Amino acid sequence: MSDAILSLRDVRLVLMGNAGPVNILNGIDLDVERGKALGLVGPSGSGKSSLLMLLGGLEKATSGTVTALGQNLSAMNEDALARFRRDNMGVVFQSFHLIPTMTALENVATPLELAGHRDAFERARAELELVGLGTRVDHYPAQLSGGEQQRVALARAAAPRPKILLADEPTGNLDGETSDAIVKLLFDLSDRFAATLVLVTHSRELAARCDRVVRLKDGRIEETATAEAAQ
Amino acid sequence: MSFGIAARIARRELRGGLKDFRIFLACLILGIAAIAAVGSVRTAIEQGLRNEGATILGGDAEMEFVYRYASDAEQAWLKINASTVSEIVKFRSMAVTGKGDNSQRALTEVKAIDSLYPIYGTVSLSPDMTLAAALTPQDGIPSAIAGRVLADRLGLSVGDTFRLGSQDFRLSALVIKEPDSAADFSFAPRTIVRAQDLQASGLLGPGTLFDSYYRMRLPPDADIKALQDNANSLFRDTGMRWRDKRNGAPGIERFVERIASFLVLVGLAGLAVGGIGVSAAVRTYLETKTSVIATLKTLGAEGRTIFWIYFLQIGFLSLIGITLGLVLGAAVPFLFAPLIAAQLPLPADFSIHWSPLAEAASYGILTALLFTLWPIARTENIRPAALFRDSVNRIAFWPRPVYVLLTAGVLAALIGVSLAYASVPKLAMWTLGGIVAAMVVLVLAAMAVKYLSRRLAKTGLLRGKTALRLAFGAVGGPQSEASSVILSLGLGLSVLAAIGQIDANLRGAIADELPDIAPSFFFVDIQPDQLEGFLARTQGDADVSRVDTVPMLRGVITRINGRPAREVAGDHWVISGDRGVTYADAIPAKTQITKGEWWPLDYNGPPLVSFAEEEGSELGLKLGDMITVNILGRDIEAKIASFRIVDFSTAGIGFVLTMNANALKSAPHTNIATVYVNENAEGKLLRDLGNTFPNITAIRVKDAIDQVVEALGSIAAATSYAAIATLITGFVVLIGAAAAGERAREYEAAILKTVGATRGQILFSFALRSAILGAAAGLVAIFAGAAAGWGVMRFVMETTYHFEPISAISIVLGGALVTLGAGLYFAWRPLAARPAGILRARE
Repeated sequence: MSDAILSLRDVRLVLMGNAGPVNILNGIDLDVERGKALGLVGPSGSGKSSLLMLLGGLEKATSGTVTALGQNLSAMNEDALARFRRDNMGVVFQSFHLIPTMTALENVATPLELAGHRDAFERARAELELVGLGTRVDHYPAQLSGGEQQRVALARAAAPRPKILLADEPTGNLDGETSDAIVKLLFDLSDRFAATLVLVTHSRELAARCDRVVRLKDGRIEETATAEAAQ
Repeated sequence: MSFGIAARIARRELRGGLKDFRIFLACLILGIAAIAAVGSVRTAIEQGLRNEGATILGGDAEMEFVYRYASDAEQAWLKINASTVSEIVKFRSMAVTGKGDNSQRALTEVKAIDSLYPIYGTVSLSPDMTLAAALTPQDGIPSAIAGRVLADRLGLSVGDTFRLGSQDFRLSALVIKEPDSAADFSFAPRTIVRAQDLQASGLLGPGTLFDSYYRMRLPPDADIKALQDNANSLFRDTGMRWRDKRNGAPGIERFVERIASFLVLVGLAGLAVGGIGVSAAVRTYLETKTSVIATLKTLGAEGRTIFWIYFLQIGFLSLIGITLGLVLGAAVPFLFAPLIAAQLPLPADFSIHWSPLAEAASYGILTALLFTLWPIARTENIRPAALFRDSVNRIAFWPRPVYVLLTAGVLAALIGVSLAYASVPKLAMWTLGGIVAAMVVLVLAAMAVKYLSRRLAKTGLLRGKTALRLAFGAVGGPQSEASSVILSLGLGLSVLAAIGQIDANLRGAIADELPDIAPSFFFVDIQPDQLEGFLARTQGDADVSRVDTVPMLRGVITRINGRPAREVAGDHWVISGDRGVTYADAIPAKTQITKGEWWPLDYNGPPLVSFAEEEGSELGLKLGDMITVNILGRDIEAKIASFRIVDFSTAGIGFVLTMNANALKSAPHTNIATVYVNENAEGKLLRDLGNTFPNITAIRVKDAIDQVVEALGSIAAATSYAAIATLITGFVVLIGAAAAGERAREYEAAILKTVGATRGQILFSFALRSAILGAAAGLVAIFAGAAAGWGVMRFVMETTYHFEPISAISIVLGGALVTLGAGLYFAWRPLAARPAGILRARE
């Protein structure tokens, strides 16, 4: 695939558990096309979230190479990875991971501040208005509902206009109606900024909205298909 | 990286409030407050001594002569340079009431004054009256005033009469306060009389041991330093000693400085314990921040940004802790000033003193840095993947090498600062070495306890004994509190154990062993013509087992090989004041010569001296060296003919200097004697000798020992208070560790209840793990205390060491009980909570 924004070649991930080494991912080869949405599905423990971590440089592969925007993430140190994410990636988690001591506005402004934007707070405010939280900017995470917290997390991920958006079961902790709104927002944001979206999900409906779906089982890619074919 | 961003994020993070930092703050505050308080009291006393220098000394300056009055030349110098000169004489004597078999006697320190005393300050008396009025003779009997202790010992009331030598005195008042008492340490209670009233007492005969003091009021424009230099150049070789108001009580100031310096070092042990608590609190805090740190890294924060975010937060909190500690340390002595002042026999200027606060602050800053740099630097090792899985335990132990070097630099700075502030750097070095060694032993002990517990939990021995297995499993497990509990409590207990061992051994040596080998009495001022009668009475008594007697003079070593002694030997005790000197013709029985030879009988050549071997070696003396000793204002230059062993440990007669008889026997002198007598015959012997020889002074050795033991007790008590501050800090750390583990215990209890454990079983398991940790800390403390006790007794006191089991056992029990108490207190909530709520919250 010539226009791959993310590539994995023969990637293995082994982690040390209490009972010894555990093989998480085995021989993964994968390309993610620029501007497309990729769904990662599979049963629990199949390695979906770990694969997402490798794509985001949040975890180091035991062997093989992970390339993003033409750069070898495996060769970067922790600080270089942090700068790379700051400039190129947004990440959304199932558990939101908002910083509890910061308001919604401050949470969203933080990556912009870290990137050196002088107008971090203005942009953060605009981003929150975009996700419908213009009136809740000064609320702390504990004062927001689950759906609202995830919207803050989405705004935080999208604010630096990342080229790659990674989402790990972003609706896993939300009820049906709220989930729909978040999913709509996630796809709207990635479309609006032409970002590449990699989405880990258990939901068939959500996977169906992606351009391509990769099914994992026991740490290996079992199947790669278009969304229609995966259905 | 922008420092500003790190500062902003740090500020936002601190919005969570200070509740996570209660232990952190308490540890810093307690440690710093203890050091600041000790330093503030020390400075208050030093300042007080300086402010009241003239009053304490009793004049602007003073010349002291041993054993004689000032010569004509010295009197002339005083007349020229001082506007007023007051002459005082001090000596020991026996105050006697009653006659014959009904007489009672007590040792007293007599101060014979002139009409100008005191030049500064006033003597407070009860009943209230002026000194002049109190000392005016009544009905032809001279008056005296005395300390309450003497009056109580002799059953005297105001108006009663008593004798000094052969002179009767009427007690006209009790001394409440002498303005110059702080500079006058004495074993015996005071009696003050007019010098002229002693003429008929027979007490100040030739060779009597007395000191004369000439206190001066100087003109306002006098240059004290120039006067001192001038007086020293003229009279130092004649045995004159100079003191002036710039340092009115040098001995006391040095004592206060040394004790305070030692207490500050004990306080440093407290700060080290606090440091462990600080470190544990920072680690716990940062563990709760793992997800935040991982999130920030996910958002693009570099390791250095993370470091600064948390360094600034902890730095800010440290400043709060240090400031509060300083405020508390400065306020406590200030608030309790009246109480402390009432206990102190010294003037003290209680106000805010900045130098001890700066000292405490520098200790606080360095300790906070030492114990927080490492855990903060490790935040750089937290990887963003921590958001996805519990990777807390996978954070690399070692931070980047630059932080390891920084931590080592801070440790070196802390040691450097401690040595710079210490008045006795060697003591500081040993104490700090002891603290570090104890900490290393405690870390190793904690590792051993964890390892053994882990192994024990896995063996078949504990199968079926669920509570035991759980307890050992928890102590050896990954979230174990073993390290911080054993380290913090152990260090506090170690300090206390060391004090216990040293105190018990010193008391044992002085109070229990010494009286068995020491004489019952020292008799001084036995005139040569009284010696025969004295020996007849004592040696003829069946209850007296031994009498030793030698002639005694006092002299000051002024020169060694023609050079001023202080230049050659510095501040060695042998040359720092006047020393007893004796003479002998034949070699005394049991004398052990180590080098050289004793002089021949009837030797009549140039003076020879036999010098104490150990002291001679410390002074760097060798055979043939010339020693100049000033006796009664006359220089005697003697050649060292031999060195001999002198054992001071039996409290018997021991002289550093023994000269050949012809060198000294024509000088006016008296004799001293030691008498070993059965306790039940002491009273009669004392009465008989007192009645026959009223001028002879008896010093009961047991009384002197009691006073030394009492003084030791006070020092041990002061040290124990500082050690208890250490222990309290250790207790705070312990509570912190117990509180930090409460959630884990809650979860554990919920699971155990779910699988059928009773509350009793769970409580037993929790109690057991606390007791294991407390006992381990206590056991290490015993070994550390014994090692410190052995070191001090063997190398400092040069005596034997005996393990003292009672304080040791109390320490282990105390440690186990304290840990048990804290463990049980924090087990209460986990036991009371319903499992469903706890388990649901974890999902």
